[in-house]
Amino acid sequence: MASPRTSEAPLASSARLKEIMAAHFVGVDRASREHTAPVAWCTSVGPVELLRALGYQVFFPENHGALLGASRVANETMGSAHALGYSPDICSYLTSDIGSYLQKRTPLSRYGMSTAPRADLLLYNTNQCREVKDWFEFYGREWNVPVVGVTSFREIGEVQRSHVDAIVRQMEDLVPTLEAVAGRKLDAARLEESVARSKECSDLWREVLATAAARPAALTFFDGTIQMGPAVILRGTVEACDFYRLLLAELQERVKGGKGALPRERFRIYWDGMPVWGKLRDLATLFAGLDTSVVASTYCNSWVFEALDPRDPLPSMARASLELFIARSEEPKQRYLERMVRQFSVDGVIFHDSRTCPNNSNARFGMPQRLRRTLGLPVLTIDGDLNDLRCFSDEQARTNIEGFVEQLEGQAPRSPAAHA
Amino acid sequence: MFVAGADVGTECVKAMVANGEGKIVGRATVPTRGYFQDCFQEALHNATQEAQTRVADLGQVAVTGFGASCASIATQTLTETVCHARGAFHQLQKPMTLVDIGGRDPKVVRIDERGAVTSVKSVRKCAVGIGTFLMFTSRHLDVHPTRLMDIATNAGKPAPVGSYCSVFAEVEVIELLRAGASAGEIALGAMYSVADRIMEMDRLQGQVLVSGGVCEYFPGVVRALAERSGCPVEIVPEPIMAGALGATLYALDAARG
Repeated sequence: MASPRTSEAPLASSARLKEIMAAHFVGVDRASREHTAPVAWCTSVGPVELLRALGYQVFFPENHGALLGASRVANETMGSAHALGYSPDICSYLTSDIGSYLQKRTPLSRYGMSTAPRADLLLYNTNQCREVKDWFEFYGREWNVPVVGVTSFREIGEVQRSHVDAIVRQMEDLVPTLEAVAGRKLDAARLEESVARSKECSDLWREVLATAAARPAALTFFDGTIQMGPAVILRGTVEACDFYRLLLAELQERVKGGKGALPRERFRIYWDGMPVWGKLRDLATLFAGLDTSVVASTYCNSWVFEALDPRDPLPSMARASLELFIARSEEPKQRYLERMVRQFSVDGVIFHDSRTCPNNSNARFGMPQRLRRTLGLPVLTIDGDLNDLRCFSDEQARTNIEGFVEQLEGQAPRSPAAHA
Repeated sequence: MFVAGADVGTECVKAMVANGEGKIVGRATVPTRGYFQDCFQEALHNATQEAQTRVADLGQVAVTGFGASCASIATQTLTETVCHARGAFHQLQKPMTLVDIGGRDPKVVRIDERGAVTSVKSVRKCAVGIGTFLMFTSRHLDVHPTRLMDIATNAGKPAPVGSYCSVFAEVEVIELLRAGASAGEIALGAMYSVADRIMEMDRLQGQVLVSGGVCEYFPGVVRALAERSGCPVEIVPEPIMAGALGATLYALDAARG
């Protein structure tokens, strides 16, 4: 058992989290096996609201990728995808998941599933990367089912009306295929309801993350990566909203009582880039042992969709998908990071340069150096990967992180006002 | 008439000499140390001595391997793929998936019923040095490379060594030692690591044969490969000499016109 100084305080709401996640997986699996509802795969920031409105049960393969990574099963499944011609340099979610399918090995076995559920349709949005399309096309060929999606703009500066209109048109074009597979017509009221729930879920999730702005932070990035599950796979459902109300109440109690996620918080860090799923526990323990809270991240905030508006479903969905950090150019990304650093009173920024996820790695075009200059904060880049632990060195990461915290110790104490 | 074939590899230089009837009458293996030219000459000299002939009397000298270009007396240079395929097929006379695991870059070669190569997959650049990695592992475990297999045999389970880069993998070995893993577990883990890298190159199917120096010195790799792939895996007779044998056969072809 870890010593109290090196562990994060457990959350009582986690029991409910486990229940709703399990119910989701069991439900999608049953629908797939018993054909009680159409089943779709959707990318994590794809137009899921359309699917919910049409009665689909939705499976999110990136979540499966994260489960494969966190359970370290990924390390044993990726090779099968490499042998099939999927390079070790492309998204390791993709290679982990396709390898899982080929080997029939999945951490979902804890829910009685031997594989991820077979889909009737796969729906992507390339706002995050091109890999999602290639990933889905593999299954489209395997199962002979439609693969449809939105080919998004990337590296967007300011989101313009023309961008939004173009994505709306693509979404409208998706509808006939989605309707045909679902066997029903898209109902405008149901779409509005679905968007309203996504918006509510997004707002609640944002409030949950905002509790880490308190000193000490009520939540860390490492907890956040687990708690965000419903924001990803249950967005647009009542269950997700109910869960986040429960979690938020618990975290607000922590804030009110002056309690932090860590027993002691000397420093506050911002994490940019993907989690290293197979090392979450190790890294959480390392930071906790250094009395350092990783209080905010680009990653966890990626499921905050400010633009969603049930009164204007498709255009607001389109805008939300375009305003995402990952789809933006360097300038808005830098502005966003500067804002987050100030909001969360951060002492330093860590960039995770994820080998197989260049689109979610922001250390490759001078961003750390620019942030260091504009914010006057220490910045560290660590090499690793979301799932491929061959790209991560425990020793290098530990040495760099420990050295970084020593660097913070050498600086004058900071107050929140110093960042205002 | 005598001909010779040589495989100038990164860990060893292998040479063979055949007489006019095609019979192998001399063979030699020399560790690669210093310049390839010197090692090649030493190996060729040793093989011709065993064949009771002289280097000057060789009608043809076919050379393959990483250092082939350093063999100035070569009458032809050939790729490792065709030489290993030729050597393996000559001995077994059947279609196969041949896995050549040498010091540098392993290859998966598909060979049809005529002995023709139908596909080749090599390891990616950042995963080269597989055989050399096993030598490094021996050094860190402070055992002679030939003993790596002995200590691995006694291990219950392999220690995880996951990096595809042999330098990173070496660092992992050092970290495992610090964490207190047994030498046997690390040795076995290193062999599974090699098997895993090969499994990532191509889908192994049907009859799998292994050639190259690694399976000669580290047969645990073959066992790990069989376990990981679920395929029957056998070792080519004299696996370390398969490339040199193939080169010798090409030299014979040239001598016979």
